[in-house]
Amino acid sequence: MVKTKPFIILSNVSANYGEVEALKNLSLEIPSQRITVLIGPSGCGKSTTLRCLNGLVKPSAGTISYEDQAIKGLSETALRRKMGYVIQSVGLMPHLSVEENIDLVPKLLGYPRSSRRERVERLLNLVRLDPAVYLKKYPHELSGGEAQRIGVARALGGDPPLLLMDEPFGAVDPLVREQLQGEFIRIHRKLKKTVIFVTHDIDEALRLADYLVVMNAGEVVQAAEPEKILAEPKNEFVDKFLGPNRALKRLTLFTADRWMEEALIGKETFTKEYPGCYWETDQEGHPLRASGWVEGRFIEREIDTDAHTVQKYSSLRECISKILTLGLPATAVVDERGVLCGEVRFATIQKVSRS
Amino acid sequence: MDFNKGKLGGVCEAFLMCYVVRVGVFVRVTGSYSKYGKKLTFTALIAFVGSFFLPFFVFRENRVAPPLSVKLPLPYTFILVIPPLLLVLSLLVSKRRLSTVMLSFSGTLSIILATLILVSSGSMHVQNFLPLGRFSPTSGFYLYIIGAVVIFVMKPHLNLWDYIGFILIALSFIVLVGKESLSHLSLTMEAKNFGPRLTRELFAHVRITLISLLVSGVVGFPLALLSYHHAKFKKGVFLFLNLGQTIPAIALFGLLIAPLAALSHTFPFLRAWGLKGLGNAPAIIALSLYGLYPIIRYSYSAFENLEPSVIDSAKGMGMSSAQIWRIVRLPLTTATILNGVRVALVQTIGNATLAKLIGGDGLGVLVFEGLGQASTDMVLLGMLLIVALTLVADSLFQLLIFFATPKALRSRHG
Repeated sequence: MVKTKPFIILSNVSANYGEVEALKNLSLEIPSQRITVLIGPSGCGKSTTLRCLNGLVKPSAGTISYEDQAIKGLSETALRRKMGYVIQSVGLMPHLSVEENIDLVPKLLGYPRSSRRERVERLLNLVRLDPAVYLKKYPHELSGGEAQRIGVARALGGDPPLLLMDEPFGAVDPLVREQLQGEFIRIHRKLKKTVIFVTHDIDEALRLADYLVVMNAGEVVQAAEPEKILAEPKNEFVDKFLGPNRALKRLTLFTADRWMEEALIGKETFTKEYPGCYWETDQEGHPLRASGWVEGRFIEREIDTDAHTVQKYSSLRECISKILTLGLPATAVVDERGVLCGEVRFATIQKVSRS
Repeated sequence: MDFNKGKLGGVCEAFLMCYVVRVGVFVRVTGSYSKYGKKLTFTALIAFVGSFFLPFFVFRENRVAPPLSVKLPLPYTFILVIPPLLLVLSLLVSKRRLSTVMLSFSGTLSIILATLILVSSGSMHVQNFLPLGRFSPTSGFYLYIIGAVVIFVMKPHLNLWDYIGFILIALSFIVLVGKESLSHLSLTMEAKNFGPRLTRELFAHVRITLISLLVSGVVGFPLALLSYHHAKFKKGVFLFLNLGQTIPAIALFGLLIAPLAALSHTFPFLRAWGLKGLGNAPAIIALSLYGLYPIIRYSYSAFENLEPSVIDSAKGMGMSSAQIWRIVRLPLTTATILNGVRVALVQTIGNATLAKLIGGDGLGVLVFEGLGQASTDMVLLGMLLIVALTLVADSLFQLLIFFATPKALRSRHG
């Protein structure tokens, strides 16, 4: 799935910070419309690579060629306007409201005023923030997670074909981080941007990456699909970096929606061999109760949405955790309104992990 | 009732906060209100009681005659006891609301009563020595007023009754001026003596200050910018500034006389422009040099303290250098830069007094001529005008800064 046209090609790029050599002869192809994740220990040059791409750092040698038609042959500032840039500290303008912040790039690009307001509202809706509540807020009134969502919305302001993200979820707490990752996968599936994502969190990298680039000391150590890297780490460094619990880590590669099966709703009894649950919902479709056969006994459980259900873009790893909490053979997959849309079964996860 | 809620009230409060640190604001942290009320009353009472042991006012037959202190008639003394009494009562009254009103009222009343008594008994005494007789308040009066000020300053918040009190005080002053009751106050006599010269010196003072400030700004701001961009340049600028600050103002004024005199001697056309060793020119040069320090310091630290991530993301989203200045840097630094100008302004108004020493104009003329003639009233008149000028200029600047600060940042800069 990675084999798309290259969007950007870096060949033999080197960069220095004073005496320190941050990048050494780095060559890399960034695939179009995929999430490329750069990962490595701090100081390995992953952020520098990103900053070379939008010209915030000038390479001392080598070439960066922008292959895609959308960004070919543009001047530096024009190029930057076509690359959404999200950083860990967000960097929202503290004196501008949320609306003005998101509107910055559209304004720079000279979009007509009439369309801009609607555009800002659409972007806020995209990152799941209510425009009526947030448009007039100022950055100091936002939580870390909210600020980062605004940061993503702002980066998407000029509808750029490329998103550069420098540890965007590094400063928020783990719970919010997982949520934001899920949202980000959803947004990416919808918009199909080319994304270059820098992180030092291996779980985050495995969950998001279509193409994973492991870096160390200014060089690329291994670049491939995450599944391939998990299966065949090139050397000891990559192996160490991936860490233990490889089987569990592998489950983060898959999202629930890909392995979800139809959920049986209603009171019909099913046989002991049926590998899923049967669900009871309210009128809107929110799951209320689940029941199923576990080791020859028929068990019924009340559903707590937070503890027992997953979203479409949750990883299979999350699914297994929810299945264990629920104590039944499957977990419910709900959409953003909390409506039941399928189930992920324990048996399926076993099958995926064996494959 | 609470004035802090409204927008206007907020501005007023922010204004007053600039001049006095409201000791009482911290009362919630330090202890209970009732205990604090006792402390306030006690402090004010010390001032009030002390004032009764000091001469309230003096009068003189003419400008150079020795001051004659007078005993205040008994009824007047009794009247003056009322406000402190009210203050003590406010502590004893159990009703919170009544107590608040009495506290505010005792402050207002003490200022109005003291002024009225000063004016009426003062005017009575000079009656026999017209037209040259004059009276002036002395330590007793001042200490009494300090008692009232203590009440207002120590309060946690100014309430509606305090603002009503201020209006009453202002009204009573207007009435007194209207009835010419203040015309035999020594300060008024002195001001009258000066006549049109007074306004001329006042305007000269303002002019010298504004020109110096303009020069400091025009020179200082680019220097701050250059320092921000070039580390080497910064070292030089700040070395120069720090050295400049160590030279006493008077010395700097004096130091400039010789080189400027030599300059105007060699180039006579400079003399035609008013540039010579003595007069306003060296004063303006010295004042501008002094004004550089706060302007450069504040502007530089404003640029320096900008969050790097904000600039980074501005660059990253494709703003040109000019756009980063216009959209990001300037709006975020205006308040701090203007604060530097404000500090320079206040400092320049004060230092401009020294211009007289090297033959310049301004309110320093009153102060130093007064010193020469051993006329305290003249010195006092000059000083009061300088203080008033400073307060007015500072207030106007505060207002300017308030409106120049982006809305989202106002609460943080105060």
